Amino acid sequence: MSNACRSSRLTFFLVVSALLLAGRPWPACAADHLREIQRRGVLLWGADAEGGAPYVYPDPLRPDQLVGFEFELAEALAGKLGVKARMVQNQWDQLIPALERGNFDIVLNGLELTADNQQRIAMSQPYFVYAQQIVTRRETPGLARIEDLKGKPVGALSSSVAQRLLEQMGGVELKAYPGNVESFRDLKAERIQAVLVDLPIALHYARPDPALKFSGGPFAPGYYAIGVRKPDTRLLAALNQAIKDLADNGTLERIYRKYGVWDERQAALKDYQPEVVSQRKPVSTLRDWPRYLPLLLRGAVTTVELSILAMALAVVAGLVIVLVRLYGMAPLPWFAQAYVEVIRGTPLLIQLFLIYYGLPEIGIRLNAFLAAILGLGLNYAASEAENYRAGIQAIPRGQTEAALALGMSRWQTLRHVVLPQALRVVIPPVTNDFIAMFKDSSIVSVITMVELTKVYGMLATSTYDYIGLGLMTAGIYFGLSYPASIFANWLERKLRYDHR
Amino acid sequence: MIIVENLVKSYHSTRVLHGIDHIQQPGEVVVLIGPSGCGKSTFLRCLNQLEIPDAGRITIDGVTVEGGRPLRTREGRERQRLLRLRTGMVFQSFNLFPHLTVLANLTTGPMVGKNMSQETAEALARKLLAKVGLENKTEAYPSQLSGGQQQRVAIARALAMEPQVMLFDEPTSALDPELRDEVLAVMRQLAEDGMTMIVVTHEMQFARDIADRVLFFDDGRVAECGPPEQVFSCPQHERTREFLRRVTTR
Repeated sequence: MSNACRSSRLTFFLVVSALLLAGRPWPACAADHLREIQRRGVLLWGADAEGGAPYVYPDPLRPDQLVGFEFELAEALAGKLGVKARMVQNQWDQLIPALERGNFDIVLNGLELTADNQQRIAMSQPYFVYAQQIVTRRETPGLARIEDLKGKPVGALSSSVAQRLLEQMGGVELKAYPGNVESFRDLKAERIQAVLVDLPIALHYARPDPALKFSGGPFAPGYYAIGVRKPDTRLLAALNQAIKDLADNGTLERIYRKYGVWDERQAALKDYQPEVVSQRKPVSTLRDWPRYLPLLLRGAVTTVELSILAMALAVVAGLVIVLVRLYGMAPLPWFAQAYVEVIRGTPLLIQLFLIYYGLPEIGIRLNAFLAAILGLGLNYAASEAENYRAGIQAIPRGQTEAALALGMSRWQTLRHVVLPQALRVVIPPVTNDFIAMFKDSSIVSVITMVELTKVYGMLATSTYDYIGLGLMTAGIYFGLSYPASIFANWLERKLRYDHR
Repeated sequence: MIIVENLVKSYHSTRVLHGIDHIQQPGEVVVLIGPSGCGKSTFLRCLNQLEIPDAGRITIDGVTVEGGRPLRTREGRERQRLLRLRTGMVFQSFNLFPHLTVLANLTTGPMVGKNMSQETAEALARKLLAKVGLENKTEAYPSQLSGGQQQRVAIARALAMEPQVMLFDEPTSALDPELRDEVLAVMRQLAEDGMTMIVVTHEMQFARDIADRVLFFDDGRVAECGPPEQVFSCPQHERTREFLRRVTTR
């Protein structure tokens, strides 16, 4: 149960997909999808194998091969249907929209059997009973019950039941992680006090780690079930029968024991009685905007703070870099150039991971906000340095000569003659970068920052109103970035000196 | 007083100046003539250290800078600065600061380079603008001026540093013929006021009128030197005659 690093691009893609698909029928002919699967001989199951142990993950010994209790379950289920199983990789918190799009036939990846999840899709008989587990560092006392977590920084997987439980209880300083590995890393880096997580994940990642411990017993049990599209009733019936058979003949127990996730709670699987889930009316976030807009705006405040501070850092650091590069004593210019090349030639995402998750290993622990500013700022500094360099080199040599001939020093020449003229040249590209960063800042959600795009993603996955929320979010981004371009145009005009 | 001894300058492997010697008295106006690429501009630019000579020695008003010495030391840079403060330079392409008003073009140098107060610098600037006939253009930007007006501002800007020597590097070459006279008139006035000047120019009539001495540069050497009547009327060298024939028959 994890998901890949989310990106604004994916969200954008989903919005577009949702727009394109709105009002279309299911890709395959409705009730006969089971026959379609059997005809092609392959059951496509959606899951996220990134950090997905022990559910489905690459075998550490043979990384081209998938393993995991859900991997084996999928094989067994497909066998019951008389077909082969093939996994389709998909970011975890976007599995349901992807199922609706028809990217695969079923979702089999620790999907909780909740009323929320059953609003858009149908769910099978449960195949696993999970519970929540609090994990802390070995030396942390107390924190055995969920109520003990109030007032503490606590990590949870984004869009998971654990996150929902903590949100419902309230009073917790909640940090949502895109994957499982990252939350335990932050726990060990002492950025958070505890992680609330599904038991199988805790068993796999935290139990073997001597620095961590289970705090209190498992609680809040629930079911994992398979998600299918609502019209696929015959597929659902076939899956339910297959799960029952696998439970009865001991296959489930054998698989779960193999991965160390079997416990006495699994007995409850046999007693499960399906409940009738009341269908809520589809949410229109546009009509109900007073409830959603403030949440988005709160995210936008973070986005604005982050972009302005990061850009301020980039503008100043870029100036230092370019001055060192153009006027520094050897070998400093070489270092400045190397900085620009390395930063420009590596992904921002990797840089953020290194700053946030890598630096604590050498004893530098920055909080997420500082790490985000540092990551974005230092990344854009390279770009600003190049903008400045272009601007400075656009100033004719005669300007420098005239200033030197007047007895100014190199620095005075730069300060009074070159930089003021270069300033005007660089305003358009720097504004461009500022607006780009404003939107790029959504990437910092990978280091637990909750900014505008992250809020959008969280609301969209709970309301499924990708279009309404998407329009609102896009409107906020535009409403904030457009004034920035107007301001830049005004500034450019104000600094004009070729008055004619 | 200007004393130049054995000035040598090369670009890459091409020697541009082959050991120039030159002595000039205060108040003397010297005009450099010669074909393109003969080294006269380079000579001028060496005098205020826009080019660093490879060898030789330049002394202007008691400040000496040796060629070929790297300017890494603080003392070296200070000497270079003092030399530049003693010389004012006027460029072919004016090189006014386009982001500053005419007044600020004149005051920036004294305020930044000589720590002059703003009031003093502005008073001086207005006086000099009046001298070049542009006292009503203080708040204009360079782009609002004609070429001739820009060059007059550039002359005033150089004068604002109160130099002992004025260097002119083809000051009228970038101007339309009808705009040249206003610039030449300002230079003439300057010469009459007793300014020490070195002028690189192709204006032969002007050279004849204004110069106390004419230097004919050819291939990085001073090929001929003398009062204008002598150089223009009875040149001693074949190269000089050939050059004068070409520029006067144009």
